[in-house]
Amino acid sequence: MNAAQLLENFLQALTAGLLTGAIYGLMCVGLSVIFGVMRVINFAQGDFMMLGMYVAYYAFGLLGAHALFGTAMGPYIAALLAGPVIFVAGVIVHKLLVSRVTGIRGSALESEGHYAQLILTLGVALVLQNGGLYVFGSTPVSIATPLSSSAWALGPFYGDATIFVNQGQTVAAVIAVLAVLGFVLFIARSRLGKSLRAAADNPEAAIYMGIDVDRAHRLAFGFGVALTAVGGGLLASGGPFQPYVGLEYVIVMYAGVVLGGLGSVSGAFFGGLTIGMVQQLSTLFLPNQLQNTAIFVVFLIIVLLRPQGLFGRAARRT
Amino acid sequence: MLEIEALGAGYGAVPVLNGVTIRVGTGEFVAIVGPNGAGKTTLFKTISGIVPPMSGTIRFDGGDLLAVAPSARPHLGIAHVPEGRQVFPSLTVLENLEMGAATEAGRRNWAENLEKVYTWFPVLAERAKTQAGALSGGQQQMLAIARGLASSPKLLMLDEPSLGLAPTIADEIFERIVAIHAGSGLTVLMVEQRVAEALHFASRGYVLEAGRVVLEGGHDDLKSNDRIRQAYLGM
Amino acid sequence: MIGTNLRRQALLIAAFGIVYAVATAFAENSYYQLIMTVVPVWAVMGLAWNALSGYSGLVSFGHAAFFGLGAYSLALAQIYWGLSPWLGIPLAGVVGALAGLVVGFPTFRLRGHYFALAMLAYPLALLYVFEWLGYQELTLPMQREAPLRYMQFEDHRIYAWIALALMIGAMALTSLLERSRFGMSLLAIKQDEAAAEAAGIRTLAWKLKAITLSGAMAGTIGGFYAVVLLVVTPPAVFGMLVSAQALIVAMFGGVGTLWGPVIGAVILVPLSELLHAKLGNVIPGIQGVVYGIAIVAVILIAPEGVFWKVNDLMLRRRAGGNLDQPPSAGAVSAVVSELPRREKSGTVVFEVRNVSKAFGGLQAVRDVSMKVVNGEILGIIGPNGAGKTTFFNLLNGFIRPDQGQILMEGKNIVGARPYEICAAGVGRTFQVVRPFRRMTVLENVVVGAYVHAASDREARANAEAALAQVGLERDAQLLAGSLSNKKLRLLELGRALAGKPKVLLLDETLAGLGGNEVEEVIALVRRLAARGVTIVIIEHTMQAMVRLVDRFVVLNDGAVLAEGQPADITRNPAVIDAYLGKRWRVANA
Repeated sequence: MNAAQLLENFLQALTAGLLTGAIYGLMCVGLSVIFGVMRVINFAQGDFMMLGMYVAYYAFGLLGAHALFGTAMGPYIAALLAGPVIFVAGVIVHKLLVSRVTGIRGSALESEGHYAQLILTLGVALVLQNGGLYVFGSTPVSIATPLSSSAWALGPFYGDATIFVNQGQTVAAVIAVLAVLGFVLFIARSRLGKSLRAAADNPEAAIYMGIDVDRAHRLAFGFGVALTAVGGGLLASGGPFQPYVGLEYVIVMYAGVVLGGLGSVSGAFFGGLTIGMVQQLSTLFLPNQLQNTAIFVVFLIIVLLRPQGLFGRAARRT
Repeated sequence: MLEIEALGAGYGAVPVLNGVTIRVGTGEFVAIVGPNGAGKTTLFKTISGIVPPMSGTIRFDGGDLLAVAPSARPHLGIAHVPEGRQVFPSLTVLENLEMGAATEAGRRNWAENLEKVYTWFPVLAERAKTQAGALSGGQQQMLAIARGLASSPKLLMLDEPSLGLAPTIADEIFERIVAIHAGSGLTVLMVEQRVAEALHFASRGYVLEAGRVVLEGGHDDLKSNDRIRQAYLGM
Repeated sequence: MIGTNLRRQALLIAAFGIVYAVATAFAENSYYQLIMTVVPVWAVMGLAWNALSGYSGLVSFGHAAFFGLGAYSLALAQIYWGLSPWLGIPLAGVVGALAGLVVGFPTFRLRGHYFALAMLAYPLALLYVFEWLGYQELTLPMQREAPLRYMQFEDHRIYAWIALALMIGAMALTSLLERSRFGMSLLAIKQDEAAAEAAGIRTLAWKLKAITLSGAMAGTIGGFYAVVLLVVTPPAVFGMLVSAQALIVAMFGGVGTLWGPVIGAVILVPLSELLHAKLGNVIPGIQGVVYGIAIVAVILIAPEGVFWKVNDLMLRRRAGGNLDQPPSAGAVSAVVSELPRREKSGTVVFEVRNVSKAFGGLQAVRDVSMKVVNGEILGIIGPNGAGKTTFFNLLNGFIRPDQGQILMEGKNIVGARPYEICAAGVGRTFQVVRPFRRMTVLENVVVGAYVHAASDREARANAEAALAQVGLERDAQLLAGSLSNKKLRLLELGRALAGKPKVLLLDETLAGLGGNEVEEVIALVRRLAARGVTIVIIEHTMQAMVRLVDRFVVLNDGAVLAEGQPADITRNPAVIDAYLGKRWRVANA
């Protein structure tokens, strides 16, 4: 392999990494919102993502996003639709289950309450995964869009190095970045966003301000799973998936969030972006099957060496 | 305005408060003093609803306060400035004040309150865009009080405003509290370990020891009372 | 843990084993025989999870790593070396133990959520590695000529009996451990790691032992599982459901108990298997749903698990009404004037030299120096926020000073771990009492005794002596969580005393006590001092302290404000200003 080829491969992997990473970033932001506000690690986050993929799949096929918006834009509209649907699902799951072991009530359970949250969401994850098998079937499905099989060719640089940029992934990445920006603005500027941050900073003081912390948690949970679900919806046109797909992304999301510093929303985006690049660049020198192992190893190294994350502030109340 | 009757409260099975009865009239400045572990902060948290009561009643403005959800109590006009300040560190000073103004009255009078608060605490206006976590202890205390005032409260509850502050800074905070009480006619209930100041400015005071009120009285009765001297200095 | 002694426990285990073995003998259908085999397998996985997470409280989502490595070690050893499973299963256990040690060493630097997540990553990473290595499906070769040697029995009940034997082994091991220093130390770590470390428990060492043992148990049963199924695939042994099942049977049955994982497995495994058999075609994934619902239900309804729920109900019935126990004798008998005289030798036992500590911009402790003479009672007082508790945390090693020295009997202990400082003879109590709430009073104190006890028996004797000293001997069997404030203070004192400290640091021991109770505790502290324990006590107010201490050091704003005899300190203008304000001194001058 000569230098030009090496460069070509590198740039190709880097581009792919950035595009996938942007979607991972969106997914990580979702997980991070939940952790940031509620101090709960949602084990079922990957499975809400899976639900998002199926919502997008059915919205595209059955509900007519396909017919209305065509095969080119239809998948993206369908992915965005996953947001509100999963938001409602998240709010319901929080209200019925999660709220009983979190918030002011949960903190009274001392250290045992700490794990109750984690283990409860593990149960939710098992039910969603395996229930998904019944509802959606085990045959992998995907959303077919012409964009995901067409690419822009960039180059040639330095002689004959040419890189191909997948059009479908590019549109998805742009949507993901816009969604993150929109959410960051919402959190930074709106009154509701500020009260979510206040509840995250200090739930007790938030109650003294008359902020309904249970409601703040419910909304944060809803927003969190909805953002990740949109990310899932965007991935749904990238390749086939089945109800167990969430597991593959669980560590991707945790790794991104920890890398960005638990609880930091913008950190989570950059964390996810980095993980996307690690995954794609690892293909340069590792076999494809070990892509995920590379992520796990990076995750373990980050957790062990810098648990406060590379980008974010330290999470104080863990 | 606030009537606490035979209140018992605590964590788990162990009571911290035993039959505490305290009354605060409109416009009064009432101080509660007593050593650590006496239950002062627990009393405040029970009023705010963070600690559930075991027995007794709390009435505010004639209504049963215990029937009101904790997060709804500030909307009735109770502002709790907690022990250790507890500002929202990642929010800016201005955002902290906005959070204080989350109540209906606070939103209505936002512009007016903000102006007042900035006159009382000019340093907050200077540092409006700074993250609250970056303020000094004294500034954070000012912010915590200002945040409480931004809700347009009827009752301001201050839990140890001098905690962890150097004496000169604490004096400054006290002067402001006194000015605010005098200037606004607000009802103030304050827990404080700096007994002399607390009792000097307060119209009445209560001494809390081991979860019970052991002494109550007007300003002059308490100021030279040996019980207080003994509670703190053991002589 | 719960009143039953070792012998009764052994009988119960034996009875359970016999019933199970006989029931197995009647299972003729090979499907039921498989269920009878799988129940003990998951019970052992639950026990393995329990040995680490149940006792130490560090939740592992990654026990599939040990299970899978065990399964693959056995399969590979049999395929490539022809190793018999009789040796392969122990080998799997050794591999599991090593994996536990290797995983534990770095991962124990993490706490809480971070630990749980990091543990999750190990099996998932291994899953892909084994796929990449080309072991997508390993089949154990049939050995028709030597079935016994290769554990390939015609009669499948034999597998169930072997599984049962392994389970009984795991139960016996667990029951021996839970009563020993091992189990008690882990339980203490689970309930309050900092308090455990301050009581002299070497927390990292115990956690490493626990994960090694836990890995050994999981590896062993993983190896056996490979023998039963004859086929090993990465998702089947490293998959999420393996880790989840271990955690769920243990949590469902009851965490931190011997019977919990067994109860969980006996209920959940047949349930999910039967539903799978009946409805598996219609509802794929029914097993996962059953486990998911089971764990959600447990967390919401009985987070302590079936075992504890039943146990608590039975205890409540037995206690039935006589919860109001008569107060223990000897209350309020102490009168200050009757206190024993004390000898102060004059040698400095404990010394602090120019210690400072800042948090961010806040100078919490500034250049504090003091000497404590052998046998003395020194009072450290100061208003709230003066830095008193931070100062104690520096003294017992919770935090490290930015500068300065702390000398215990002339040896600098700055930088030593809290348990080392405890072993050097510095005991402490906490401002907010930190008992191990789910342990009895005696067990709490036993934990404190390990630091200077060679055996469990000696620890128990020391603990009983310490309880007698603080007057709690009649409450020895009560759960610590049920004690009154005063008794909790005494319990902490007892726990610190059981470690035979030379210097005892008491953090606001008198806070929140009523009048008579204060006198009682003062009398007790003076008696301890008379026996030669040097005491440093922090208080907020001077009220009772003037009758207790020999000397005061007053802290204000992180620095020493004054030092001297009680009579002088209470008249010191600077002290009065710090406490009551200038206004008071001026008004009452």
